[in-house]
Amino acid sequence: MPPLTSLPARSPEFAEGADVWPPDLDRRGFLGLMGASLALGGLAGCRAAKTLVPYTHQPDSVVPGLPSFYASACPCEGFARGILVEAHEGRPTKIEGNPRHAESGGAADAVTQAAILALYDPDRSQAPLHQGRPASWPEFESAWREEDRRLAPVGGAGLALLTEPTTSPTVRAGLHRLLDRFPRARWFQHTALARYDAEGFQPDYDLAEADVILAIEGGFLDRHPAALRYTRAFAGRRRVEKGAVRANRLYALESAWSLAGAMADRRLAAPPARLPAILNAVATAWSREPLPETLDREERAFVTALTADLRRPGRKVLCIAGDEQPAAIRRWAQRLNQVLGAVGKTIRYRAAVRSDGDPRSAGDLGALADAIARGEISALAILGANPVYTGPADVEFAARLARVPFTLHLGGYADETAAAVRWHLPESHFLEAWSDLRGYDGSAVIQQPLIDPLYDTRSLGEVLRLLAGDPPLSGYDLVRATWRARLGADDFDGHWTRWLNAGVVDGENTPTANPEPAEAEEPVPYLDPEPAAALTLVLRPDPWLGDGRHANNGWLQELPRPFTALVWDNALLISPQLGREQRLENGDLVRVECEGRVVEAPVWLVPGQAEGCAVAHWGGGRTRAGAVGSGRGFDAFRLQSRSGRARGLKLTATGRKTRLASTQHQFAMDGRDPVQTFALRDLGRLRPEQPAISLYPARARDTYAWGMSIDLSTCIGCSACVAACQAENNIPVVGKEQVLRGRVMHWIRVDTYFAGEPGAERCHSQPVPCMQCENAPCELVCPVGATVHSSEGLNEMVYNRCVGTRYCSNNCPYKVRRFNFFDFRAAADSILHLQDNPEVTVRQRGVMEKCTYCVQRINRARSEAERDNRPIRDGEIRTACQQACPAEAIVFGNVADPASAVAQRKAEPSSYSLLAELNTRPRTTYLAKMINPA
Amino acid sequence: MSGRGPIFRPGASAKFRACLLLGFVLLLAVTDAGYAFYHSPWWSRVGFASDQPVLFSHRHHAAELRIDCRYCHSSVETSPFAGMPPTETCLSCHSQIFGTTALLRPVVVSAETNQPLRWNRVTRMPDFVYFDHQIHVAKGIGCTSCHGAIGSMALTAKGERLDMRQCLECHRDPRPFLRPSAEIFLPAWTPPADQAARGAALAAHYGLALRHLTNCSTCHR
Repeated sequence: MPPLTSLPARSPEFAEGADVWPPDLDRRGFLGLMGASLALGGLAGCRAAKTLVPYTHQPDSVVPGLPSFYASACPCEGFARGILVEAHEGRPTKIEGNPRHAESGGAADAVTQAAILALYDPDRSQAPLHQGRPASWPEFESAWREEDRRLAPVGGAGLALLTEPTTSPTVRAGLHRLLDRFPRARWFQHTALARYDAEGFQPDYDLAEADVILAIEGGFLDRHPAALRYTRAFAGRRRVEKGAVRANRLYALESAWSLAGAMADRRLAAPPARLPAILNAVATAWSREPLPETLDREERAFVTALTADLRRPGRKVLCIAGDEQPAAIRRWAQRLNQVLGAVGKTIRYRAAVRSDGDPRSAGDLGALADAIARGEISALAILGANPVYTGPADVEFAARLARVPFTLHLGGYADETAAAVRWHLPESHFLEAWSDLRGYDGSAVIQQPLIDPLYDTRSLGEVLRLLAGDPPLSGYDLVRATWRARLGADDFDGHWTRWLNAGVVDGENTPTANPEPAEAEEPVPYLDPEPAAALTLVLRPDPWLGDGRHANNGWLQELPRPFTALVWDNALLISPQLGREQRLENGDLVRVECEGRVVEAPVWLVPGQAEGCAVAHWGGGRTRAGAVGSGRGFDAFRLQSRSGRARGLKLTATGRKTRLASTQHQFAMDGRDPVQTFALRDLGRLRPEQPAISLYPARARDTYAWGMSIDLSTCIGCSACVAACQAENNIPVVGKEQVLRGRVMHWIRVDTYFAGEPGAERCHSQPVPCMQCENAPCELVCPVGATVHSSEGLNEMVYNRCVGTRYCSNNCPYKVRRFNFFDFRAAADSILHLQDNPEVTVRQRGVMEKCTYCVQRINRARSEAERDNRPIRDGEIRTACQQACPAEAIVFGNVADPASAVAQRKAEPSSYSLLAELNTRPRTTYLAKMINPA
Repeated sequence: MSGRGPIFRPGASAKFRACLLLGFVLLLAVTDAGYAFYHSPWWSRVGFASDQPVLFSHRHHAAELRIDCRYCHSSVETSPFAGMPPTETCLSCHSQIFGTTALLRPVVVSAETNQPLRWNRVTRMPDFVYFDHQIHVAKGIGCTSCHGAIGSMALTAKGERLDMRQCLECHRDPRPFLRPSAEIFLPAWTPPADQAARGAALAAHYGLALRHLTNCSTCHR
């Protein structure tokens, strides 16, 4: 992984002591040294590959110099996301969404984008470990045979398996076969993340249909296995096209910001303790009874407006409860949907796709810990999970684990659990192994590897087979056997090839079923009020790291978190009011005490968060994540209890401070209105922006004039664009110290603004790439002509001319230029270079860089179009950010063609330029954010 | 208080002037030599053949046997990279002829051991230059325009300087270099007498848009 805390450690240019003046160096010696450095520096420039190495037998599918794309699946909490993986001569470099898979629709979120970096992570586990010492697979196999001899005669009594819930038919079949072999063995499942099913059914929302949506604690735009599909559908109801929109209205009721809350037309921030009372009031208002007196003014107004909207005839309504919510609230939402008549219209139920409720499963981590405590477990196989880190504090799993004589752990990293077991086995990355997965909608996808395992690793399916004592079978044969059994041998190979090509197994959707309403007349259940608590702790998965599994991914660590723009650390998020009361500022370390469990954490104030709660994200405080992820932030799992409840939170200031790195320093718009909004009812009154007058003649336009339009009505602020840009354009990770100095390198950033009165804040997200100004201020000040204007309107950055004055960056009003203060490249022999996009220069120290509108994609498309003697088609070029965006908020194309999608968007009356008063005439423009208040 | 003579002897001024002149001449000579070296093939490597694992002759294969360039450099019309022939391409003929000669031993060994041949690059571009073969051959630029008279090279040597000046010369006005499609892959080509007229006609025929050709991002990105 690239450099981390201080200066780039591996780069030879900053050797220890190099910046210290040696005491015995005189003037003459200094001049000699300088001369030699100059001469040697010149020599160092001559590096280029000197040999050409052709294949001996060239595969038919490979055209050297052109990327190939393979369809596969990326696991997301066990569910499939269809992906297309770009490979250059067998080297996977980028992950895109698979347009043919409904759960992707061509988009890919930040975590999926970053998975390619994990493949090349040098900290991955590379060989089996026996009690922490390197071992081999044959050694483990003989150890297991011995264990097998002990277990087999007793039917596997004492054997326990712990996996994460899975959707893979092959893995499930492998588990079942293992349980058949050891009938008395027990299979437990553990995930710290949400469970999406209840009573065997999982809800699926139709956001394209819903007119009025109540979202309780977020739950559908962020961190949901179907989030990409939901985002696309939701955005379709927010997009203003040709001055018209069939807008939905979103009500959000939440304690802390979620992406849904930021998109809401009306949002109420309420601490979790108030939730039952407010929801009860909604039910009361629905049955036209007077609202209880306990509601305050804002709560009352919210409930009144919501119920009035729900009641309006002809509206399709939907209630969504966040998946981390207690079962009672999720049941309440389900019941409300039945009462509102939403079931079958905007919400459908489908038999659970994931194995959480598998009848052969024996329970969760708590049940396993109890069984160990009772002395029932003599051998434990932990397959894929990391329960020592992700287990609730009061389970004390590490201590329990020590009581089991034979323990093994299969995982991609030698993590906390690996350190606590007898055998650690390295697991293949999903781009190295054959498997199969199902999406949230039940669709099956074959997980196709792009590359042979880089290390001596095996997949879960292969290990299950090894444990079951069956003769070894490759992952490929295992997956084929699963599907051959389903399909029969009839033209299996033809089907198989088609599935691999398309990335989706056809005809494999789990049909939707509507569970019978329990009793049609039953009212919405009454929620027991919570005891009034001054402060409640809300524990959430980290937006990027989840339960900490992605902690060693530098891209994700350095990807600004929504609403805080924090990188590299997690913090305890509190409201500014609470901060004022307790005299806490950003970065103050507090002692967090909750039901006897204690951690120390820095606080961060977030406007718009409910007052009576503090939010902590999991994923920090890892001790064995790897060089990148270990020791970042604090471990919120130490506050987690088995029951999931966390009342009686107490914060005590320690008087100490820590420095938190945030990429944004100002969250208020201060009257400059970078994000413009309009109420839907004012749509007809919008007037198009008039370009400012200029003394200079307009620039002549070429055949193509590239431009971009970003729709703030649909942008949910998920940062998929940032991660996609990082993957496409070889953007380095710089580390926390450098971020603190303002040297983050992302070419596109997502700015967050809080607007409105305290208590009724709105949150706006705004992706900001280079504006590619027609009157670019940066170009005027470059003394060496390293940034110039192209005939097609690109503001070009020529690295080989740049001498690093940084004048351009100083003169850029949008602050989108990035400077390589150090050599941020990985070491020359680093495996990380395998991820590099060969179409984009890897920049060196002293060079300015910025968004290029993915000029490599423009050039590729132009080359192909001109070769075929045709113009470049509209939509043929898609920038990396545009391609990844699940909301289709970004459109790129030729503004000189009035029929192009981007020209149409720019013709909308809501189109505006950022800082238009500067008359920079940006080619990147925005569509103002539409809000649909009642 | 005297006892000190003049510091400079008679003639010191003349010597100093001579030294100045000599220094100036030396400076000129060194600059000139540097300039000459920079423009000589010793710097640009034009005409120098590198060592190769196999003594492959383009003259024999391309000019005498008239094997089309694309037989070996098969992706030149579809990819930015022209492609280097896999060992099996060599063996498509040489499994029949000369397969047992010492000259072809490395090729046979490569096929037997499945270890690729490692050719030394003859034409090298800096890392910050992105050259696209397919569009050049599609738009009337022939192989020999950049690679030199490949049909007369017994050992393959760099044929042109390929510095930025040369690229720009053509990108500013490609007409003197344009050929009809049928002549792109000829191993030897000299512009006909009426190239000025033909070039203009070919530019129209290929639909060349010239303005964007001199954008920096055409080659650097």
